[in-house]
Amino acid sequence: MQTKKPRKTMNAKQITAVFRDESVLLTALKKLRENGVNIRDIYGPCANHDLIRNFTRESRLPYLSVLVGLFTVVATFAFIYYVAVIDYPLRYGGKPIFSFPPMVVAMFLLAILVTGGASTFAFLGRTRLFPGKEVSLPGPRTLDDRFYLVLDENFNPGEIKQWLSESGAEEIIENEPSE
Amino acid sequence: MLSNETSVALVKGNKSYGQITGELLATVEGKTPLWWFAGMTIGTILLAIGAWAVYMSLAEGLGTWGLTNSVAWGWDIINFVWWIGIGHAGTAFTIFFLVFRQKWAGSINRAAEAMTVFAVVCAAMFPLLHMGRPWLAFYILPYPNTRLLWLNFNSPLFWDVLAITTYLITSIMLWYLGMVPDLATIRQRTKNKVGRFLYGMFSLGWDGSLYTYNRYETLMKLLGGLAAPLVISVHTIVALDFAVSVLPGWHATILPPYFFVGAIFSGFAMVLTLMILFRKAFNLYDYVTEKHLDNIAHVLKYGSLVIGLAYVTELFIAWYSGVEYELHTFFHARASGTFSTAFWIMFAFNAIIPQLFWFRKARQNLVVLFLVSVIINIGMWFERYIILISSLAQDFLPSSWTAYHPTMVDIGIYLGTFGLFTCGMLMFVRYIPIVAVNEVKPISRQGHANEKTTQDHER
Repeated sequence: MQTKKPRKTMNAKQITAVFRDESVLLTALKKLRENGVNIRDIYGPCANHDLIRNFTRESRLPYLSVLVGLFTVVATFAFIYYVAVIDYPLRYGGKPIFSFPPMVVAMFLLAILVTGGASTFAFLGRTRLFPGKEVSLPGPRTLDDRFYLVLDENFNPGEIKQWLSESGAEEIIENEPSE
Repeated sequence: MLSNETSVALVKGNKSYGQITGELLATVEGKTPLWWFAGMTIGTILLAIGAWAVYMSLAEGLGTWGLTNSVAWGWDIINFVWWIGIGHAGTAFTIFFLVFRQKWAGSINRAAEAMTVFAVVCAAMFPLLHMGRPWLAFYILPYPNTRLLWLNFNSPLFWDVLAITTYLITSIMLWYLGMVPDLATIRQRTKNKVGRFLYGMFSLGWDGSLYTYNRYETLMKLLGGLAAPLVISVHTIVALDFAVSVLPGWHATILPPYFFVGAIFSGFAMVLTLMILFRKAFNLYDYVTEKHLDNIAHVLKYGSLVIGLAYVTELFIAWYSGVEYELHTFFHARASGTFSTAFWIMFAFNAIIPQLFWFRKARQNLVVLFLVSVIINIGMWFERYIILISSLAQDFLPSSWTAYHPTMVDIGIYLGTFGLFTCGMLMFVRYIPIVAVNEVKPISRQGHANEKTTQDHER
């Protein structure tokens, strides 16, 4: 299973196969995988769970979120303890100066806020999405109704093209890489 | 609770992806309909009234409001709780969709999220204005300051600030990230230069790569999971604002769950009101089907039962406690006496009329659905009115009992929030697809498994 998006090889031609149906694309993907072909990426208008599961490994984002969440809980506790017990121990209504239950509310809410924000920014950073980014799509209907399977033409291009057309690709395009 | 069988078609007509893109983006790409301008005009007028009322509140002070020594929380807090309640449905829908995998919620959650964001902004206006000097609002944040004061972290009012801020920011993240792929689709299709620039900026360079989708799906599930406890905590904390006081009618352990159910109830009612209007206005009959409306009606039916149970429980506990103050508030102020009209309107509108939804005929009749959804939100407003005013206006000292009447400024601010909500929702439906195109595509095949898409048009 591919874990990372492969780096672009210079001067290599690309093969782009166009698919209309995700299930057909899934068969083609499995076929290529069986034969050890490295796929650059698949572009499409929506996410399909079976495709994703067969294409790449699960994201590690949740691990980061758990770490950030735990850190926020501890940091919030430390902050409130400093404020309410050490720096400004004001006794109101005869209540104890150090009381854990009301701290839980702020710890819980801040954990959600900070974790949500951190996960979002981690996602944007990892996928390199930012306002004003230049986009080059493999085909005009990528975000509409077609799926594009893009791979580098590194070895046995004839065979690869045959597998693709056998599994039901609507169109196979050979082109120079755009960059 | 809600049917999620694979046999039910969630999108009617077995459409191809291209057709779905075309139909759902028609709301953005088509000509601006005349009713939109009419709606915007009404919204702007209401907004202007609100601006006048806000000016009066700031320039003259809160003396322009109807508050008295006893009724220190009046229309402002009633409307705050009412709007926050409405703002609960969006996240609830997102959780249905992302966490409970209720696929039917996929075509509603974008609109519901938008409603949440605007409703929470409207709600936040009230406590902000109630501060009297909102430009000093930053005093409520805990930061080292020259006043050498820290906050009281044991106060529900501080929790409320945190809860609402967290809820607003999380809702905006869920809403905005959910629309990024759709904004990219519009960016590719739009011919207008300004449009392409703006949609290009906001779509963050989305290219539909499966690697991105993989991380995106994980992120959305994560945010959905994080937002899930928020739905419960926000209104619980709003309820604690009341419940930790010692006033009869407020000081009750039932308040947090009762407020929570009320919030979900009123939020779903507002979603129903809006979806009935949107599906008619934008011809979304294939995407928001009778099944969707039926499911929401079911939720309202059960919500109404729980709300009714809460009303009766409150009355029972007041009687069972034998405390004369409780007995006075519940039986002499609310159920009979000064506030009885409002109390019975609340009871009938929230606990009795929605029981109509036990009948299939009522659930399938759009007029009944629409009227009941509006009635529920009127009833929910009266609920907050009863909770606040009946407990405050007749407190422990009969000599300080007073009548409460809102002033024009109170009413003006409330109308202003309606203007803000109307304008916000209209801007949303004009520039962003109401139904999440990229979320509807994968669920559009459900119920059409063995059919071929017949109308796959070529361009």
